[in-house]
Amino acid sequence: MTAAELSLGAVVLAPLLAAALAAALPHTARRALGVGIAALVLLLTGLLAVQTVAGEVTELALGGYPAPLGIHLRADGLSVLFLGMTALVGAVVTVFAAASRHTHQAFWTLWLGCWAGLNAVFVSGDLFNTYVGLELVGLTAVALVALGGRGSWAPALRYLFIAVLGSLLLLVGVGLIVSVTGTLDVVQAAEVLAGRPDAAPAALLALTLITVGLCMKLALLPMHAWLVPAHASAPSAVSPLLSGLVIKAALFVLLRCWLWLTDSSGALSALAPLAWGLGAFGAAAVLIGSVMALRQSALKPLAAYSTVAQVGYWFVAFPLLLEEDAAEGAFIGIVALALGHGIAKAGLFLGAGYLKEAYGTDEIEQLRGAGRQHPYAVMGMSLGLVGLIGLPISLGFTGKWNIATAAVAAEHWWILVLLAAGTLLSAGYAVRALAPLLLQESPTPGEARISRNYRSVPGLCVIGLGALTLVTGFGGVLIAEALEVGAPW
Amino acid sequence: MSAVMLYLLLGTVLAVAGTVRMLLVRDLLARLIAMNVVGIGSLVILLALGARGGADDATDPVLSALVITGLVITVAFTGFGAVLIRRIEGPRPSDRDGGDRG
Repeated sequence: MTAAELSLGAVVLAPLLAAALAAALPHTARRALGVGIAALVLLLTGLLAVQTVAGEVTELALGGYPAPLGIHLRADGLSVLFLGMTALVGAVVTVFAAASRHTHQAFWTLWLGCWAGLNAVFVSGDLFNTYVGLELVGLTAVALVALGGRGSWAPALRYLFIAVLGSLLLLVGVGLIVSVTGTLDVVQAAEVLAGRPDAAPAALLALTLITVGLCMKLALLPMHAWLVPAHASAPSAVSPLLSGLVIKAALFVLLRCWLWLTDSSGALSALAPLAWGLGAFGAAAVLIGSVMALRQSALKPLAAYSTVAQVGYWFVAFPLLLEEDAAEGAFIGIVALALGHGIAKAGLFLGAGYLKEAYGTDEIEQLRGAGRQHPYAVMGMSLGLVGLIGLPISLGFTGKWNIATAAVAAEHWWILVLLAAGTLLSAGYAVRALAPLLLQESPTPGEARISRNYRSVPGLCVIGLGALTLVTGFGGVLIAEALEVGAPW
Repeated sequence: MSAVMLYLLLGTVLAVAGTVRMLLVRDLLARLIAMNVVGIGSLVILLALGARGGADDATDPVLSALVITGLVITVAFTGFGAVLIRRIEGPRPSDRDGGDRG
């Protein structure tokens, strides 16, 4: 067993074991365990990434049982990119939670379990483990929201209902695919579907069910109402994980099903009405989400509505996935936007949570001049917003550029108009959130000297995510290359 | 109409009725129960698909495994949801009960 194969199993099992262990440990030991596991997962993901950049898909059949019966793990370019983003964001947020005095004692078990679930979704080679991984993520995410105290219980319950409804639709879709193809393995199912044109209607129904179920978990526009209260009322260390990572798991499964299952089966062209429907909802999400973000008076709801808008961008590009000459560009664009959003939005939410812990409120008006006292946190939030607007250098820019190029190639000009409008609106809410924090108000008499908070670890975590937003912006070409490994075309 | 068809239809009716009830009802406990009705409906659909069988009338073990997993996960979510509802509607009545909008 090579090091890469070993790490493929370990990225799932190590956080899972640590989650169980954390429940038995005293509080301080939990923090140390969390940071240790974060370092370990970073290392393991790095090993996998090296193997993938070398052009090889890492595969592992647990216990030596091959695909139809055993658990088959597979890490191609798409998996490794999402694993890497999760490891980076997860590690920074773990350090933030370990350094923060406000971290709930149950956070560690739940977050490590959630991390194991996310990694399981990303490396799973079959639909069954994907489903189990998504459920683990969903259950722990709901519990993480509920850590926010009395005000967060009702949003957590609402999230629970949506998560269960979405997974049941997904489960029926997966069941349909099994009953048609006789296998749960994605690659094998695609091969069976390719050889059986008569199975196309069943596959189309299955994909529709899976898509609707996952869109609920992704909070695509008409089904977005649960996201804002859940993400806004969650604890400071949890909101970045929910907005940055948890919804990406559903996007990953959606991309996997659309591009790998339908490959050359002829079902792709039949998906056109569904893709256009998703595109239309995505466009509405970009506009409505951004306008709603502009109308918020508090930081965390603003960031949550910005997530609704950003989810829209991914779906705007879905009609392009069906066009022969635009599919690859649109795919790279969606992945780059999703990865960039994961890092940038985590930074924004972490900064908002940091200020909320420091001042006891996240109302923008009451945080006027906070940049003087917490320069790192506000700077980190600004860099995150640069990524969300999609300015160069950030993955947001790479993503929008790729989608725009693909839209020109496919002659869908409306996408260009929408991208421009969305960018302007997001610049608007960025200024709305940041300007009051940066304004240099003359300090009120009595607090003439303001101590600048340069050394706090949580503040450094926020600016760390901000810096990552820019650094990963240089990796746009790497993303395109990595996606070539195990690509569906 | 074959037995499998009947069960497929029954499962679909259960799932759709449960979904409608879940989205419309305001009472949290009724919503949790509606969620379980949707779950039962989907699992009946899966069982019927598994019983479609081949020539030898054997049920598909993979689909049965899916059903069992689905049951376990629904139980976990139901238990957690019940705890949350108990807390929300708990002894100290809260004035911030915003959970049953929409």
